[in-house]
Amino acid sequence: MLATVASASLSGAQGWPVGVEVHVSGGMPSFSIVGLPDTSCREARDRVRAALLSCGMEWPMQRITVNLSPTGVPAGGAGLDLAIALAVLVASEQITPLAITSVGALAELGLDGTLRPVPGVLPLVDVIAADTVVVARSNHIEADLVAPGLVRSVHTLGELIDILTGDVAWPAPPEAPEVADEPNHPDMADVRGQFFARFALEVAAAGGHHLLFVGPPGGGKSMLARRLVGLLPPLDREQSLLVSRIHSAAGELLPSRGFIRHPPFRAPHHGASSVSLIGGGTASMRPGELSLASDGVLFLDELGEFGPSTLDALRQPLEEGVVRVARAHGSATFPANVLLVGAMNPCPCGGAGSPGGCRCSEAARSRYHRRISGPLLDRFDLRITVARPEPAELLSTEAGEATSEVRDRVLRVRAIAAERGTPPNGQLSPLELESVAPLTAGARAVLEQALAEQQLSARGLHRVRAVSRTVADLLGDEGELEAEHVQTALVLRTDPLAGGRPRRRQHVR
Amino acid sequence: MFAESQLWAPNPSPALVDPLALPPAAWLTALASMPGAGPRRLARLLRRWPDPAEAWRAILEGDPTDIHHTLGKRNTPLVDSWRRFVAANDVAELWQLSSDCGIGAVGCTSPAFPSMLADDPDPPAVLFHLGNPDVIAGPRVGIVGTRKCTRYGHDIAKTFGRDLALAGVAVVSGLALGVDAAAHQGAVDAHAAPPIAVVANGLDSVYPRRNRQLWTDVAEAGVVLSEAPYGQSPERWRFPARNRIIAALSDIVVVVESHERGGSMHTVTEAALRDVPVMAVPGPIHSSAAEGTNELLRDGCAPACSVDDVLIELGMVASGRESSAETRPDPTGQQRQVLDALGWLPATAEQLLGRLRWSVAELGACLVALETAGWIVETNGWFERVARG
Repeated sequence: MLATVASASLSGAQGWPVGVEVHVSGGMPSFSIVGLPDTSCREARDRVRAALLSCGMEWPMQRITVNLSPTGVPAGGAGLDLAIALAVLVASEQITPLAITSVGALAELGLDGTLRPVPGVLPLVDVIAADTVVVARSNHIEADLVAPGLVRSVHTLGELIDILTGDVAWPAPPEAPEVADEPNHPDMADVRGQFFARFALEVAAAGGHHLLFVGPPGGGKSMLARRLVGLLPPLDREQSLLVSRIHSAAGELLPSRGFIRHPPFRAPHHGASSVSLIGGGTASMRPGELSLASDGVLFLDELGEFGPSTLDALRQPLEEGVVRVARAHGSATFPANVLLVGAMNPCPCGGAGSPGGCRCSEAARSRYHRRISGPLLDRFDLRITVARPEPAELLSTEAGEATSEVRDRVLRVRAIAAERGTPPNGQLSPLELESVAPLTAGARAVLEQALAEQQLSARGLHRVRAVSRTVADLLGDEGELEAEHVQTALVLRTDPLAGGRPRRRQHVR
Repeated sequence: MFAESQLWAPNPSPALVDPLALPPAAWLTALASMPGAGPRRLARLLRRWPDPAEAWRAILEGDPTDIHHTLGKRNTPLVDSWRRFVAANDVAELWQLSSDCGIGAVGCTSPAFPSMLADDPDPPAVLFHLGNPDVIAGPRVGIVGTRKCTRYGHDIAKTFGRDLALAGVAVVSGLALGVDAAAHQGAVDAHAAPPIAVVANGLDSVYPRRNRQLWTDVAEAGVVLSEAPYGQSPERWRFPARNRIIAALSDIVVVVESHERGGSMHTVTEAALRDVPVMAVPGPIHSSAAEGTNELLRDGCAPACSVDDVLIELGMVASGRESSAETRPDPTGQQRQVLDALGWLPATAEQLLGRLRWSVAELGACLVALETAGWIVETNGWFERVARG
């Protein structure tokens, strides 16, 4: 006999509906799964069989064929377990087909028949076309976010069979734990002094400009970078859903079992491979750190220690805001709309950072600097040299401005951009800049001077203009950009790694 | 004698060159290219066989015992490697490569060898040169210092190099990055007394490559010297060896800026061995790049606070040059405050903001305006004040 139960499988951050068809017929007892199952799905046989027996049901000693349709799309994950179990029960006539009409299933089975949670339930539940979707208890709240009212959860397979075949009611949904909505980001008030770096953080948050901190160890680069995420505006509903989906697909726990409402902050270690950063993988297309940080902050500490090819892989996604991962068995597109913050030492020794203070050999310095390619450095609109704070500043008891106050200014600048109907200043195209950021004669003169002294490339010019716009917006100056704004933008964009060395000796004459 | 190398036009077909027709410089180049042929060993060979061609033939065909005897010690592996080298290499071919780059050579036994080097306790055996070696004749001052100099050291080295050259003093330095390059740049810009550079690698290639233009300029206006033959890479040991030649060539060594340890301090030691007076430029006591020079002053070195100090020490008349008039536009009141807050030590924008407690926009405007006017300069995010040129 034949039975079909709806379920879903994950590809990248995207769910695909999968129809689990089970056919039970006479013949030699056997069990086979067709339709490009992955390994964990292939192993479903042993889990499902044990779970059925544990619940007091029978395992049909017949020929069982499981087909995962559409058959051309690779399907995987243990999330199909429950659907297979239900279909086997119907196909072997242990429960009636009516019981599973328009029921979708999405859970892994334990050998004792318990339903276990699966990662990525958010995008999965979304694609199942059924009136009722059964998930594990701990997946309930997450699944309910996208399919309110359709989701049901039980503890065990036995309980589920009783509900489907008898008069037993569905158990009440679990209570969402009460957790404060405010994320506990470190506060800007903890920063003593460092007014310049604070201003850079404010500009980065207000305009969405990528930011690079360069300075000796102990200068507070990481401490500052971690405070940036608190300055960003909260996610709107659409962003929130997208970010939550990505995190769900990556198997990350969602905060207090609900949507992610605040910009994420990701700080991968510098040992990260490029696949872990960009996304992909051999078995499944998992979103990388870049996508997990989407609409939030991606913080790369010790930028100079990342593999050069890993860093260069970030270039295209940073430009386009999406990352397209292609593999032999398929491709996936993930969002990559991050605010990138880098931190690095000026040279391997860290030195005092100041000119004349470093003890590295020229070769060691240039090797270190070559790890950051020019095009990548170009992506950073703001490059700040951080020195160790002066002792009086460190010991000062005067608290800095709190995150909430700075964020108000940031939100105002974002609102101004929204009013203009343009993206945040960091993403303005050269064409948009012409209309949004007109220059006064004074500002034009400053830029011409910088171009003449070869401080700026054509691309650099646009970036400086975009930063100038943000600076002016922050100061509440609308209309044309003044010389002062452009000069501030130039000071915020010094080249911390100037003076790269040549690689080969060269013959004269 | 130096002109000798130019008399011999390079022959386009080395195979046809008559070995007897090759100049001594060719044989010297070939001898210096042998593995393990350092200045002391070469000097012994050249004293035994004043004609380098004979020394070559002695290694090729002569009795090895004779060579062991000349070296003063039995060293079979070395002599064997020399024999192999001599057998495998064609002198004419080596000379062709070397002379194509314009490199000349002079041996320590030649009358053309610079006298102050010939009398040196540890002289180079062969000196290769690019440019005109006759310029070594006049008064010479060595200007040395750290590769990782501050703007302060860079500016002083450049000014000293320029003013010494204008006073007719040849500037001797090592063409390294930092102070060396700044001193030579000053000397080259002056278009006066010829600069003298002593480098650690073979003269066929530029090291460090960033000084490529300066290297060519020095070779055109003066001379670039090296102990290393054609094709030799700058091995570590060659830098201290180069420093001793700088010390030996200089009438006075001026250390502009130096860390507590480093090549400049080694040059100072070599100068002391040769009774060459050493002068040091005082630096800020907080600057790690001035630790070495300030230490020298504490040890009793004469301070070099101006070019006149150096000229007087040389026994020359002070130049009497007034420092050039201020041509930069006067800083505004606010800009003056920034200059005062900056002082003469490098500072980041962050540090300036901490000292001034202004808004970032106010400071940014002042910094860019000051940089445009030439009052300050920015390197890697650090701002430094520029002295009057």
